[in-house]
Amino acid sequence: MLKMTHLSKVYRTEVVETYALRDFNIDVKEGEFVAVTGPSGSGKTTFLTIAGLLETFTGGEYHLDGIEVSNLNDNARSKIRNEKIGFIFQAFNLIPDLNVFDNVEVPLRYRGMKAPERKQRIMDALERVGLASRYKHYPAELSGGQQQRVAIARALAGSPRLLLADEPTGNLDTQMARGVLELLEEIHRDGATIVMVTHDPELAARAQRNVHIIDGQVVDLSVDPRFHAAHHAASEAHG
Amino acid sequence: MLAYYFHLGLRSLRRNPALTTLMVMAVGFGVAASMITYSVFRAVSGNPIPDKSAQLFIPQIDGWGPQQNQKGEPAEALTYNDAMALLRAHEAKRQTMLYPVQLAVLPDGKRDLPLNASGYAVGSDFFAMFEVPFRYGGGWSLQDDDARAADVVISGELNQKLFGGANSVGRTIDLGGHDYRVVGVASHWNPRPRFYDLFSTSGFADEPDFYLPFARALDLHMYTGGRNSCRGELSFTNWTDYTQSNCVWITPWVELDTPAEVASYRSFLTHYAAEQQRAGRFNWAPNVRLRDVAQWLDHERVVPPESRISLAVALGFFLICLVNTIGLLLAKFLRRSGEIGVRRALGATRREIYTQYLIEAGTVGLAGGVLGLLLTALGVGGVGVLFPPQIAKLAQLDASLVGLTLAVAIVATVLAAFYPAWRAAHVQPAWQLKSS
Amino acid sequence: MNLPIRPILVALRRHKAGTVLIALQIALTLAIVCNALFIIHARLANLSEASGVDEPNVFVIKNQWAAERPTAQVDAQVQADLLALRQLPAVRDAAPASGYPLQGGGWDNLVTLTPDQTHPITDSAVYTSDEHFIDTLGARLVAGRNFRPDEVMVMGTQQSITPPTVIVTRALADKLFPGGHALGKSFYAMGTTPSTIVGIVDPLHRQGVSQWNKAYAGQALIWPLRADDARGIFYIVRAKPGQLAAAMREAPKALYAQSRMRIIDPKDGVQDYAAIRHKVYDSDRGMAILMGIICAVLLAITAAGIVGLTSFWVGQRRKQIGVRRALGARQRDILAYFLTENFLISAAGVLLGVVLAVAFNLWTVTRFELDRMSLAYVGVGVLVLLLLGQGATFAPALRASRVSPVEATRSV
Repeated sequence: MLKMTHLSKVYRTEVVETYALRDFNIDVKEGEFVAVTGPSGSGKTTFLTIAGLLETFTGGEYHLDGIEVSNLNDNARSKIRNEKIGFIFQAFNLIPDLNVFDNVEVPLRYRGMKAPERKQRIMDALERVGLASRYKHYPAELSGGQQQRVAIARALAGSPRLLLADEPTGNLDTQMARGVLELLEEIHRDGATIVMVTHDPELAARAQRNVHIIDGQVVDLSVDPRFHAAHHAASEAHG
Repeated sequence: MLAYYFHLGLRSLRRNPALTTLMVMAVGFGVAASMITYSVFRAVSGNPIPDKSAQLFIPQIDGWGPQQNQKGEPAEALTYNDAMALLRAHEAKRQTMLYPVQLAVLPDGKRDLPLNASGYAVGSDFFAMFEVPFRYGGGWSLQDDDARAADVVISGELNQKLFGGANSVGRTIDLGGHDYRVVGVASHWNPRPRFYDLFSTSGFADEPDFYLPFARALDLHMYTGGRNSCRGELSFTNWTDYTQSNCVWITPWVELDTPAEVASYRSFLTHYAAEQQRAGRFNWAPNVRLRDVAQWLDHERVVPPESRISLAVALGFFLICLVNTIGLLLAKFLRRSGEIGVRRALGATRREIYTQYLIEAGTVGLAGGVLGLLLTALGVGGVGVLFPPQIAKLAQLDASLVGLTLAVAIVATVLAAFYPAWRAAHVQPAWQLKSS
Repeated sequence: MNLPIRPILVALRRHKAGTVLIALQIALTLAIVCNALFIIHARLANLSEASGVDEPNVFVIKNQWAAERPTAQVDAQVQADLLALRQLPAVRDAAPASGYPLQGGGWDNLVTLTPDQTHPITDSAVYTSDEHFIDTLGARLVAGRNFRPDEVMVMGTQQSITPPTVIVTRALADKLFPGGHALGKSFYAMGTTPSTIVGIVDPLHRQGVSQWNKAYAGQALIWPLRADDARGIFYIVRAKPGQLAAAMREAPKALYAQSRMRIIDPKDGVQDYAAIRHKVYDSDRGMAILMGIICAVLLAITAAGIVGLTSFWVGQRRKQIGVRRALGARQRDILAYFLTENFLISAAGVLLGVVLAVAFNLWTVTRFELDRMSLAYVGVGVLVLLLLGQGATFAPALRASRVSPVEATRSV
């Protein structure tokens, strides 16, 4: 589903080159639920933005659903984002000017879907996250957990094959976080591939597989019970 | 604190030079357009004789009747017969008849070519009624009127041409082949609009060169050098026939001090017209008017439509500039929501935020005003391109216009800033901490 | 393309102030620009009004007499003057006149078909001159004949004399006798006796160009009268082609050689038609220029205002744009979003503007008796403002479309 080989991402300013990712390799199979962990600044968000085609990369290869994406133009990339990928952001990123219904509608609009089908999908998605009755509310009128559920509904409405989540519970309290996580697990059971970036080990533990990133490189691709030890060792090695 | 706000304002204006330039230009252009057209409008619509405009009245008598008058309104001047009748009745404290005359000043020892001169035939009361200022001498007396004296009052300009500006009282000049004794030299006097003669002029002619006795002009059979308006069949070929015709050409003025005097004069006019009806001269009911200066200016539509329309357009233009400024200020202030939130968190009250932004707007207004002033100066200088010269030269950039330009720019900009500043003042201190 | 109109409207409801301000600005601009365009067009039309005069070669001398004399003496002087003028090598012809096309002088008479008619048919400008008048002006005689020398009568100061023959303009002829057979017919022009039409000229403008006599600007009659007013007379002179300057130099000298008891103002006593036209249309030209400047500056300011406010909106919504891009919006979807947004606001502004424009026009119609504005001006104004709005939005919208989708992951 998502395969990166020898991928690198360099940020250049006039004076320095910074490698955000270097010789980065990852292979996520269809239907997997993968958690990506790592200390802040390790490059996990960069990985996610490249995986979600929000940014381009400098070198290497990236196959998404069998398509090599590095040569795609902006329109083609937009189309893939729209049809194959669903995003869940830490800060929810709902559009404050639009109500719940209109927010969920945004990706469907760009797909050029007919109004009745759009409506059906929106209400189905909202039903699924348990917010169908709130479809006329504006984001500011909802709690953080509710907002994140709207964001999930927005991601679900387009029936994406790949769901990318960036610290989806980072702005939520424990109870709300648990609800959101259960929702993700349910979506996973229904067949979606999920890649979730988090720094929370407890959250990461709920995934099928953990990928750890340090200094722009994947350090361990297996589900490792001695995760913490490895983490400490790596930190010391690079500290 | 105000200095601090002013300082903040200046710094903020420097931060987005494009937006600031845009606002300053909008205010500058808007205020300049308004001020240029206002300077013209002020010049043409001003009260030419402010302290007496309510005491000076122009009587009108309908000598043409409902078939031939001006949609029910009496003619704008009097026939010879009616003018003489009013003059003889002498029902007002002061009164004068007047009409324009064109005469040549004939050559004397110094000049070998005649000089064109235009002036008015007026009564002796003219000078006191209209407050004509004198440099030398004065007007003539009521006795001179009766005696049809060959007196003349000349303008300062004509006095300069003929006598090099010296006191010429007592000297003689030859006007159109007749000698006149100079009894007075007027200081510069040219009220605009020329309310006393709107029948023959549009109100903005050059200063008259001389004034001579009305009775004398009639004695010499001087035809009007101005307008003449008649109705029906015309067949006159000499002075007597002409004066007996229905042609109107004489403008009458009376001075009435109290409402009682006005009422009494009005009933005198009605009586006079009724008498004419009884005598069979008029075949219609009395139709008279007694308008004061302001009413007369309005009736004669002295303010050229150009200046009214352009004033309206310029005001609309200014309004658009202000709407524009509100929008830009809103953008500018709200773009700094973060800064406002922090200031509020640090303890700034709404009032302080309010003051800060109004002062910033005032700074924009001041800059716009200065630009507006430059453009106004340019515009008033170049107004001759836009308006007829006799009107254009009335527009002047004086101290009051300078003050008004700056004041309008600042006040308007600060008013425009009220809503944006209100919005800014209502930014929540916590807003910044919440992620959107 | 699938334009999300409803969501845009919903979003605009949350930005009321900015929306209302832009719409209001567009409305007011439309109102002013339509009327200004209309005024400019009307004034420019005035500027190109036909005078009927061979303008490149004709000039006018305003001749005032220094002292009063009996009519017979004035007439002798006038005849001598005309003879002298006509003999000048640079002069083709010369005529006496009480007034001349476009500028002042002269008078109007009311016209009736019978002597006892109480309601006159119309107003006509009155020209008095001799048999040289038509050739001197270079006017076109389209029917009938010119005056014969023996028909020309003498008119003293403030005398009302009605000659039995008259030449009229086609506009007057058509007004009096709509059938088109005016030649040979008679009418009364405030005289006790009728005048018979012997010739028709076309065109010939009246003496003035003011707004109030615009309706009958082309109506004039010419009477064969030498206006020997004791105060003064106009001499109209037509130079030979290309010799205008020479003729204008020679003519006053020739007149002063005849007699020095006259006044020809050194400043504006001798004017060619270029100067006359320039002077009489001063206010028309001024108004057109003023309105032109105002239109241009106004459109510039409105455009700049839209750029400014849209830029602000784009800046304010960078994150939101990033989110949309992340959710699959193409660059052109973002561009289309902002252009559509501006179009909706402009359309609302334009609707209000049409009402304001018509209201302003009606105010000038009732207040200043100007003409009704044709709706074509409103149409042009609407088009101009819609295009202006789209043009002004384009740059900020393009910047918005270039916002990277990665903005979505950045915190504020």
